[in-house]
Amino acid sequence: MKVLIIEDEKTLAFEMEKFLKKAFFLCDLAHSFKQGFNKLELNQYDYVLIDLGLPDGDGFELLSKAKKSNPDAAYIILTARGKLEDRVAGLDMGADDYLAKPFFLPELQSRMQAIARRKFKVAEELIPLGNFSIDLQKRFVFFEEEQIELSRKEFDLLSYLLLHKNRVLTRMQLSEHIWGNFVDDDYDSNYIDAHIKNIRKKLNGYASTEWLETVRGVGYRIKK
Amino acid sequence: MKLSTKLTLFITGSKLAIVGLFILLLPFLIRQIASNYTNFSLRNQQKKVLQNINKKGIDYYFEGDNSYGSYTMLKDEYIALETVAQTLKLDTIRDTKRIVEQDTIAYRVLSFTFQKNKKNYLLEIGKTTASINLYNDALQRFALYVLIILIALSIIIDLIFTRQLIKPLGQIIKLRLTNSRFPFKKKHGHINTSTQDFKYLDHSLISLMDQINEAFEKEREFTANASHEFMTPISILQNKMENLLTEESASEAVQEHVVDMMKTLERLKKISRSLLLISRIENEQFSKQEEIEPQTLFNEMVEEIGHRLEEKNIQIDIELSHNKRLSHINHDLLFQLFYNLINNAIKFNKENGSIQISDHLEKGYYSILVSDSGQGIKAEDIPHVFDRFKKTGHAENAGYGLGLAIVKSIANYLNLKVQVNSILGEGASFKVIFEIEQRISKSIT
Repeated sequence: MKVLIIEDEKTLAFEMEKFLKKAFFLCDLAHSFKQGFNKLELNQYDYVLIDLGLPDGDGFELLSKAKKSNPDAAYIILTARGKLEDRVAGLDMGADDYLAKPFFLPELQSRMQAIARRKFKVAEELIPLGNFSIDLQKRFVFFEEEQIELSRKEFDLLSYLLLHKNRVLTRMQLSEHIWGNFVDDDYDSNYIDAHIKNIRKKLNGYASTEWLETVRGVGYRIKK
Repeated sequence: MKLSTKLTLFITGSKLAIVGLFILLLPFLIRQIASNYTNFSLRNQQKKVLQNINKKGIDYYFEGDNSYGSYTMLKDEYIALETVAQTLKLDTIRDTKRIVEQDTIAYRVLSFTFQKNKKNYLLEIGKTTASINLYNDALQRFALYVLIILIALSIIIDLIFTRQLIKPLGQIIKLRLTNSRFPFKKKHGHINTSTQDFKYLDHSLISLMDQINEAFEKEREFTANASHEFMTPISILQNKMENLLTEESASEAVQEHVVDMMKTLERLKKISRSLLLISRIENEQFSKQEEIEPQTLFNEMVEEIGHRLEEKNIQIDIELSHNKRLSHINHDLLFQLFYNLINNAIKFNKENGSIQISDHLEKGYYSILVSDSGQGIKAEDIPHVFDRFKKTGHAENAGYGLGLAIVKSIANYLNLKVQVNSILGEGASFKVIFEIEQRISKSIT
């Protein structure tokens, strides 16, 4: 999968590249409207990440130009502005998703995967997970033939960890994903622990949940 | 009391006082005028008589007699002329009684002695006192009526004039002060007035408002820009740390440090995100066209916040007996407002405490009350709880002091009122008041 990252903050672009590479994406970088435009003319990408705050041009304009040269790519808008109008305008112009800075990198990856599932109509099979299996589309967890009831948040948490399997996710990354851009006045990580505890409690009744690891001082990981 | 009322009262009062005084003095004045006029006419008649005597001689009256007297028909006036002793010298006007044909009548009598042909003569001219005061009552009444009419007219004229005169002041108060809500967005022209003072007042107010607007605008811009500008460096740091966490070479200790740094960064992120939210509210970037049932809102809230209630084993009671549908509102903002209130109610609550959420209809207002059994707020802190970065309560569970600032911004934006009550050590309650006509479309049963 080829990704074009159009972001004028080089450091940020490099960090995104570094992360996406680990998830086996091939990355191209552009740091200006012009560079981005040129790269889009020359190559076909699967994903294009466009920062709205480019120094030499309007990100929206680039988006509309890019849709012509790369009609099949998935577009994600990145912005520090986070205005509702921007979001609406971006989605109206055919962007597939929208992320407000600062975003967690696993979140970016999740959005990309979600778009892939929508765009490329990947009918997710049941994903095996230890002795369990998870249907991400229908949001079910099965043990053999039996369906296990998880709350909305519990399921979100489990599926997010699963999408980033073998990667340690901090409580903040997890809570950000579950809460979205909601403003919470104080940092409070306990509830992630509480949810994890509940997930284990519910699943342990059927089989071992050794695959759901606690990484001391850091967060959680699903090992496969 | 309003200036116009004061002026009206003063004008009317002063006029009435003067008129009252005049009315009290009127009988005396009229009597005075009548008696002065009588004296004057007696003197005139005396002049005439003396002229006649000088011209035609004394015999013109005496006709051979040594005295002369004459009455008018009704004895209103009389004139008498007689010779008197040489030593008598008189020149007086006085009230006295005279017997005229068996009637004793009160007269005002002019007595005057003069020499003619070496003889001393006494001239008396009399007017009945009754005739002097004959027209007094009529005059008095007439004067009174005229006065009352004049007074009424002048009061009306004064009132119209003062009203016109201070009308611009009323306009200034209405336009600039009572009807203006901060920030002063409406641009008004200058008030039309020729009064220099009002012009000055109006111009000063306009320039003051402009200054306030400018300052507010600057603060707004700063908040928006600063919170945006923070986001990029925060992004960079955060993503760097995330990548660091995934490094194979990173030891567990390093990872823990990185997570600690991320926590600090998270704080920074939340602060700037809160500021960003405030600035977005201030810049009116949210629609106000949504309708919400409080019950639904609180159900969502409990799902969102349930785990925190469990952590401290806090009992939450939601009793919405009216559950009015609220309109012209923004769901996310209202959610955020109550979320912050309930969040505080949990944060400052004690273990096994409780939170009550109830709604009330009073005086045409619908309100929702969030009260907790927590530590409460000190009385001296209450006025400042909505200030940005104001931290009250215990340090260890104080947030960043932006939760209630956000509540205030949202309340201002959605035209809600928030009232705080608290008893230290027993809990605090926040009351959110909606304007009923505007926001509640229909009752839900």
